[in-house]
Amino acid sequence: MATTRVAAATPVPHSVAQLDKEPVVTSAPERQGGVLVLHRHHLLVRCSHWLNVPILLGLILSGVSVYWASPVYQHKPDPQTGNVDPLADIGVWICAHVPGLHQYSNPPDWVYNHISLGPGMLAVALRLHWFCAYLFMLNGLVFVIGSAMGAGWRSLLPRRTDLRDALKMFRYYTGLPFAKLTRRTWPHPRFKTKYNALQRVAYFSVPVVGLLSVFTGWAIHKPMQLYWLAAIFGGYDKARMWHFWLMWVFILFVVPHVILVLADGWDTLRSMIVGWSTRVERSEDFSQ
Amino acid sequence: MNLEDEQSAPEADNTSSTESVSPQKPASFLQERRPQVMEVAPQLLRHWSRRDVLLFGMGAMAAAAGGVSLLPQTTLERWGIIHEKKNWPKKEWLLNRSLRIDDDVAEALYSRNRIVPTYTKSQITPLKNNYNGATPGPSYIPDWRLTLDGLASGLSVSLSIRNLLASFLVREQITRLVCVEGWSAIAWWAGLRFDDLLRAYPPMSQAKWARLESSVNLGRWGNPDPYLVSLDLSTARHPQTLLATHFNGKPLTVEHGAPLRLVVPVKLGLKNIKAITRITYTKDEPTDYWAKRGYSRYDGI
Repeated sequence: MATTRVAAATPVPHSVAQLDKEPVVTSAPERQGGVLVLHRHHLLVRCSHWLNVPILLGLILSGVSVYWASPVYQHKPDPQTGNVDPLADIGVWICAHVPGLHQYSNPPDWVYNHISLGPGMLAVALRLHWFCAYLFMLNGLVFVIGSAMGAGWRSLLPRRTDLRDALKMFRYYTGLPFAKLTRRTWPHPRFKTKYNALQRVAYFSVPVVGLLSVFTGWAIHKPMQLYWLAAIFGGYDKARMWHFWLMWVFILFVVPHVILVLADGWDTLRSMIVGWSTRVERSEDFSQ
Repeated sequence: MNLEDEQSAPEADNTSSTESVSPQKPASFLQERRPQVMEVAPQLLRHWSRRDVLLFGMGAMAAAAGGVSLLPQTTLERWGIIHEKKNWPKKEWLLNRSLRIDDDVAEALYSRNRIVPTYTKSQITPLKNNYNGATPGPSYIPDWRLTLDGLASGLSVSLSIRNLLASFLVREQITRLVCVEGWSAIAWWAGLRFDDLLRAYPPMSQAKWARLESSVNLGRWGNPDPYLVSLDLSTARHPQTLLATHFNGKPLTVEHGAPLRLVVPVKLGLKNIKAITRITYTKDEPTDYWAKRGYSRYDGI
């Protein structure tokens, strides 16, 4: 339709107008047939969000290979295999108990063969890790710029009431499957902000965890020139443990994040691609 | 960004305590802003939607293809993504490039005046013998001599361990050795400063590098496998870079590189070459045993 125009009920946000490249009509709102949309995510925030997927995947795959070279957590050598690494023990257990894997050639390597580049790949894993780590830092910068330009960072700041509200949301999510099964009404807690308290806690934590990963990464990468940074995390060896567990925080965030987004529906997923959402009700709540 | 809104909504009760001011003027810099609502024709919305999903989808496919192509072949074969060896031209280029950038960062971070942390004797931890191949037998020790090449004098100098200990001041330090594999150990060393050797036997004026060689190094099956380390002279002149002769108060054992090894705490363990037999000063960067095997060349930590 050639005559389509953006009919703005409010002044059209700059970034969306730019995306559109069509003249913006600010006079005489054409209400009939229009859809109300709400600008949710700045373009740079959307780009950095999706770039994190391959970058974090590369960091974890190569990072587990680096971990293999000298596992942080070790136990006494196993009397039979001489193995000291609990992760490798998991591989041994899987090969012994999962049907079809009994003939697996090297059971201690099973975990490393499946969640990393593989054992004995230290040189290539380090190169991939540095490559992804520099991209991750650049991507963090893109996120910071995008949040500042889109003013989205204010929606992420924790508030005084967040703890109580986050517990309410947690109760809602955990009770939801049961309520659906028993066909009980299970109202979503009302909130007036862009994110609910639980989302805020999660989305605020992730950049913090990213920043801590970068700092602990530098602390163990340059423990002599940046020894003060390693000292903040309790020294070189402790900084390695921090770095290891920060990886698990990312993994523990991603799993419910993906499940909840998919459960929430296409609009939420789409808004991280296109930037806008057609769910404006919440925003009206916001101003009342 | 325009944050004001003509629909000045009435003030409501504020259970969440943050939106306590009219939307016209945010109460504080930190207060969440009202979202921007606009009306768009459905056709246009579908058009935007299609365009952006296509663009992001292409980006995702490009990122997936690019990411997969960076992974090593053995990994891809193991995952069943490729079934035979394929050679992507210039595949390694990008990864090597990031390795060089990282080396440049390490070099920029290095300062000859920055002393690395030292420890007390109670903090010493066990140091394992991490010879990559077989540990050489002690038969080389009686005839051992250190040869210096690339000197300003143009001569080649040969020194015994007795010469070295007699003519240089022996210094002690307890520093951390960090391995590329991730483990580390705090060890007590004694030896001469590399800087003192450089002063006593100055290298040729254009020299920027030291090539350290251990001709007694062995491969896994006991075969001769000379170990080579490249060391920039700026690092060699660091006050904590030692040519160590003693470990834990006793002369070095074969496992720790008797009779003379390099201790350079500002570099990864793999640069701390054991049983040095020759030091050659060069203008151009010499080859390095582990750099040839895909590790970094500078290895500054």
